[in-house]
Amino acid sequence: MTPRNRELAALFVAAGVAGAALSTVTIEVSHRAAGYGAVFAALYLCAHVVVRRTVPYADGGLLPLAALMTAIGLTTITRLDPQDGGRQALWVVIGVAVFAATLILLRDDYRVLESYRYLFGVAAVVLLLLPSLPAIGERINGARLWVHVGPLQVQPGELAKIFLILFLAGYLREKREVLAQGRLKDFGPLLAIWGAAMLVIVQTNDLGSALLNFGIFLAMLYVATGRALYVAAGAGLFAAGSAFLYEALAHVQERVTIWLHPWTDERVYCALNGKLEYRQDCASYQLVKSLYSIANGGFGGTGIGKGTFTSTDGTQLIPYLRTDFIYSAIAQELGLIGAAALLLLYMVFVVRGMRIALRAEDGFSKLLAAGLTFGFALQTFIIVGGVLRVVPLTGITLPFVSYGGTSIVANFLLLAGLLLVSNRANYPK
Amino acid sequence: MSVLALSSDDTLLILKLAFLVLLYGFIVLIVRSATKDLGGAPQESIVLGAPEAAALRAQYAPATARFVVLDGPGLERGSTVEVTASAIVGRGPESGVSIDGDEFASAQHARIEASPDGVWIEDLGSTNGTFVNGARVSAKRVLQPGDVVRVGETELQLQK
Repeated sequence: MTPRNRELAALFVAAGVAGAALSTVTIEVSHRAAGYGAVFAALYLCAHVVVRRTVPYADGGLLPLAALMTAIGLTTITRLDPQDGGRQALWVVIGVAVFAATLILLRDDYRVLESYRYLFGVAAVVLLLLPSLPAIGERINGARLWVHVGPLQVQPGELAKIFLILFLAGYLREKREVLAQGRLKDFGPLLAIWGAAMLVIVQTNDLGSALLNFGIFLAMLYVATGRALYVAAGAGLFAAGSAFLYEALAHVQERVTIWLHPWTDERVYCALNGKLEYRQDCASYQLVKSLYSIANGGFGGTGIGKGTFTSTDGTQLIPYLRTDFIYSAIAQELGLIGAAALLLLYMVFVVRGMRIALRAEDGFSKLLAAGLTFGFALQTFIIVGGVLRVVPLTGITLPFVSYGGTSIVANFLLLAGLLLVSNRANYPK
Repeated sequence: MSVLALSSDDTLLILKLAFLVLLYGFIVLIVRSATKDLGGAPQESIVLGAPEAAALRAQYAPATARFVVLDGPGLERGSTVEVTASAIVGRGPESGVSIDGDEFASAQHARIEASPDGVWIEDLGSTNGTFVNGARVSAKRVLQPGDVVRVGETELQLQK
């Protein structure tokens, strides 16, 4: 079987999974779910046809994996709020359109992107700092992540990640040899990137995206030079910078306190209402409720549509459930067995991405595939680890699953990039 | 309601089981196809592509060592023997340097390796031993141009 036929077969199985989940939502919550399912199936069939025509030799597992992840996300969001489900379905349509357009535009040779590397670098920094501009930026939940463009809310950080990876792939391929020699003067631009990461934390209070982008940078530096020492030095620099920022910024201190001590026995000062409250009722309310949600799922889950997300008077228990905390909603309704399957989907995606990087034939393609895959993996780790209290929680989206248009579009761009690299690597000689 | 009609709870249970079975089936399908999609072995380096690695290998290509036959019943005296990368000297049919007529040589007598860091010789446990400039080879050693290697009754001199 060719990779494309395997892809089609896997898409049918993914459609079966999505069908079972959306049927449950149709019965339990809303009849709209069935309609979203039909749109969804037609959409991925179109995507498959485009892939067949533009990148016939690309890996056949990634598109079905992305399809299933978006299906699980769409199901969960529709179950929580059918109207949001409609918006998410629309964003998936736009995402697939962007995916198809990228494949068609770059089907001959995506490596032309390498010559625009500095443009991508500048664009990434501008996008990261955009939300801190007072005119268009908006502060939500302590972090400046959002930009208003007309009626749309855009999260530029998600796109900045892709641009940063494109810049680093071009830049590191060019400078790989001199960097591997380890002369100090060659590290100027790299120290500038570290400085920019710190600046982004201070300016936007967005720890998650700073950690993500700096992690991507270190991973790609390691892939390019093969020197673990650089990773250790970079991690040390980041730790030192973070320690300094921890002392300087109350926002950072609070995140760490919530992470280490979400429960208190005594009432402590609550910054939200100025009174003395238990911390689980104030600063760490969201995280604690999310942990209860996961625990409520147990091994087998409550079943889709049967989870508890609102209190008896109808108010929502967990703020940001559809975006940052979607994993805890999934873990409650699908249980450990379903949440573990979701994490397995991410793992398989990452393994395939790294195989693509290994098989790619030139430095730019290798760095691009490795960077895109690592960024995907680290983002998943940061948010799932944050929700599970493995690392301090920082608001970031779960790729392909969380509610959010920019995130969906950015991840479809990432998928297109991996398929383009894979197609070139597998091209029959 | 007829007896055959499923209650809503039964339907939901069946859907839940179908969801989980298909979900794990999907994972198995993707993992299994991963091994089929990828023909060929993974490359040795994540940094270098196959052409770049090949260029580097060519730069450090295994040298070719040239020997002149000084004496020996199995080879024509004065002729040249070339060893690229690695070859076994012996009477056996699979030897890279075959000295079939030499009664005093073993089937697999010695191994000569030409590598970027020099030409190396190693005795393969031969009956009569391998000698370099008259000294018996006990461990793998490097050869200098002009050294004379004796295997059985065959003498080979390494050229520059």
